[in-house]
Amino acid sequence: MTGTLTLIVLLPLLGFLLNGVLATQLGGNRVGKRFVTVVGCGLPLASFALVLQALAQLQSGDWKPLVEVAYRWALIGDSRFEIAFYFDRLTAVMALIVTGVGSVIHIYSVGYMAHDKSFGRFFAYLNLFLFFMLLLVLGRSLLVLFVGWEGVGLASYLLIGFWFDDLANARAGKKAFITNRIGDAGFLLGMFLLYHAVGTLDMDRINAAFNTAGGAVPAVSASLVGILLFIGASGKSAQIPLHVWLPDAMAGPTPVSALIHAATMVTAGVYLVARMSGVYLHAPEASAVIAIVGVSTAFLAATVALVQNDIKKVLAYSTVSQLGFMFLALGVGAYGVAIFHVMTHAFFKACLFLGAGSVIHALGGEQDLRKMGGLARRVPVTFTTFAIATAAIAGIPPLAGFFSKDEILWYAFASSRGGSVLLWGVAAATALMTAFYMTRLLWLAFLGTSRMTPEVEHHVHESPWSMTGVLVLLAGLSAVGGFIALPHFLEPLLPLPAVNEHLHAFETPLLVVSVVLAASGVALAAWLFGGDPARPAALRERFATAHRWLSGKYFVDELYERVIGRPLVWVSDRVFLRLGDRALLDGTLDGLAALGQRSAGWLARVQTGQLHLYAGLVLAGIVGALIWSWRHV
Amino acid sequence: MIDTLLRHLDSVLLLVFGVSALGCAALMLVARQPMRVAMALIATMALLGAIYGLLGVHFIAAFQVLIYVGAVMVFMVFTIMLLEVREDSAPRYSKLLLPGLAGFVLLLGALGISVWHALPAAGAPAAGAATPGFGISTFAASFVGEYWLHFELTTVLLLAAVVAALAVIRISRRAGDRQHHG
Amino acid sequence: MDKTQLLLGLALALFALGLLGVIVRRNVLVMLMCMELMLNGVNLSLVTFSQQAGTTAGAVLVFLIFVVATVEIALAIPIVLLLVRDKRTLDLGAYSDLKG
Repeated sequence: MTGTLTLIVLLPLLGFLLNGVLATQLGGNRVGKRFVTVVGCGLPLASFALVLQALAQLQSGDWKPLVEVAYRWALIGDSRFEIAFYFDRLTAVMALIVTGVGSVIHIYSVGYMAHDKSFGRFFAYLNLFLFFMLLLVLGRSLLVLFVGWEGVGLASYLLIGFWFDDLANARAGKKAFITNRIGDAGFLLGMFLLYHAVGTLDMDRINAAFNTAGGAVPAVSASLVGILLFIGASGKSAQIPLHVWLPDAMAGPTPVSALIHAATMVTAGVYLVARMSGVYLHAPEASAVIAIVGVSTAFLAATVALVQNDIKKVLAYSTVSQLGFMFLALGVGAYGVAIFHVMTHAFFKACLFLGAGSVIHALGGEQDLRKMGGLARRVPVTFTTFAIATAAIAGIPPLAGFFSKDEILWYAFASSRGGSVLLWGVAAATALMTAFYMTRLLWLAFLGTSRMTPEVEHHVHESPWSMTGVLVLLAGLSAVGGFIALPHFLEPLLPLPAVNEHLHAFETPLLVVSVVLAASGVALAAWLFGGDPARPAALRERFATAHRWLSGKYFVDELYERVIGRPLVWVSDRVFLRLGDRALLDGTLDGLAALGQRSAGWLARVQTGQLHLYAGLVLAGIVGALIWSWRHV
Repeated sequence: MIDTLLRHLDSVLLLVFGVSALGCAALMLVARQPMRVAMALIATMALLGAIYGLLGVHFIAAFQVLIYVGAVMVFMVFTIMLLEVREDSAPRYSKLLLPGLAGFVLLLGALGISVWHALPAAGAPAAGAATPGFGISTFAASFVGEYWLHFELTTVLLLAAVVAALAVIRISRRAGDRQHHG
Repeated sequence: MDKTQLLLGLALALFALGLLGVIVRRNVLVMLMCMELMLNGVNLSLVTFSQQAGTTAGAVLVFLIFVVATVEIALAIPIVLLLVRDKRTLDLGAYSDLKG
């Protein structure tokens, strides 16, 4: 059936329009919560069904990619720019994640935002986000992808600052958007270079141009393009140095954090690099940069997560760290493995965030870990699902995280496209820390003695089934999702890199090492936090300086403010405002006006009202005219 | 000597009348009392009339004396007498005396040179003193025949003047009322 | 000197004197009389040219100037009278109501 792809993209847009107009103050709040729920959740589910149908169509068509041209955007000379949609294996995986996990998070939001006064607006924005995200993953050309890219940035801004009455939330939204835009500068430059070299922005055609047999590669440095596109990706996917917006983005409602800042939007950067694998296969320098940035981000974010006290901030830094893992995989050429990790991460991270939301809901808004504890018996479903997801992220077999993370570690070690012991070492250390801080989170929140205030403790209750049901579903997927052999599914499209011959022997030992690391991380955290609270306190005091640095997130925000923010403000104020605008522009205009006024005042002195003067001027005029005519005639 | 004088009588008379007219005009600028200025002007006009007569256009000379001296200047003298103007102490000249004099000299120079250049060569034929001039019948015929349009337009102008006079009366009456009642 | 040149010179001088008088003299009535002098100068030049060329055009124009001058005086003097009635002086230096 033609038009399926267009319909997949447009259904959430319809939801945005309906809810955005009818369910908000714009349209006069005409409809109630039931309408919003049906439209807001139903349309994404319909999109999910259509994605399944498209997948079936793809399979029956021998896996030949589906292409649909929706609209011819511009025809400039010989080049045509179209809004076209493209569906192949990679798109199928991403679209399933986006619509599937997206739909269940919509359902979760029904329960979570039930008492919010802007219920309709929330679902409108969520649907808007889905629309743009689907544009992003289904787009055929980089142009359509970029529209989706910017659109999800917009939706993210709107949703982070959803409760904009608090100025801090609005500022967080602004920070996210602006940091994204900095990355977009690189993205745009990469697009310009590609268009200049290849003559088209259609991604499949670009990949084909770079992979032509005989190596007639377009006359542009693939590494340069690769690095520029990666700058864009690092803005969107919160890699160093553009990672600063993600922790602040936790100001938004928890379903937003789950959907956008864990499962889908932040993986757009990973998707971009994977999609442009044709370029990256010929760009070893760019791939090396990606791998190094990825593993550094993973390591540093994990260190920060060790000491955070806000439940959502721990998860935020964990997300940054896991994204670093994905980029590490991309950097060593294991594109399919990175997408695999995207999928498993979507399952367990969404489950963790939604679980955190459930905890916050149960505690009536409390987010500080130091005021939690002993919740396991009070909110059992939340606790169980949270524990499963924690085990998954820690890498305990046979849960999903173990499979994807282990593959990443293996290729980091053994890939012929840049794998090395150093990369593996740092990544393994990060995996150890991941297990540690996640277990710490679990323990401090749910186990041990209660540190809650009495009135909070009195009101603790399990969340409604619209929320817990989703948690159960996601926990189940975290448990069994690893058995979906995604890298092999994607292999025809994204080939796995060759492994160095002599390293084959290390495969099983490294597997064992991964399991040992995960287990020891969990055990260490359990020992440290399960017993006497004085033990972590003593540890903190012994390493006070390190603790201060980690708590302050390496003071990156302060550094940016000092080095970039303040000079820019200074230039804006001194040069542009005072010098350029006030002195130059206003001064010129005021000066011209004053000049006109003064010269008019001076000229007006001729009008004395004295007839003698006027007659005298007549005489002078006559004399002048006569002399002139006498000389010129 | 008397012979030459009588032979060139009209030229001599012309010269005499011309210089006198110029003198009287200069006197106008110098005299302090307005009445004396008026007298000087009357004298100038009369001398000009004489010059017109010498030129042969007698009817214009007649009109000059009749209209200008007889109507205009009489009205002016009447006004001076009505206002009992005696300028004994008031300043005679405005602030622009010196610039005015300088401009006067320049104007004379400029006009003189322009006219000098524009004139045909001195001694043009058939423009001597022996031209008879034309009489009133010729004048009247061309006035009403060839220049009837100008005549009619002047009539309109006179009509406008009558309307203006009426307006002035009304304004002055209204101003007078406001002064009395205000 | 040619008769025409003399007469034209006289006409120019009369005109210039009249204009000078308007600029220089302070009394309103004297200024009006100087304006009459200007008109006379113009009349003289017109008559000279008319007589020289032999056409009646100049003479007609002179006659019309008589008419216009009469009308002008007939209206100017009442206006002066009205002005003087308010300001009580004939000195034109005191009339600067239209200043600026």
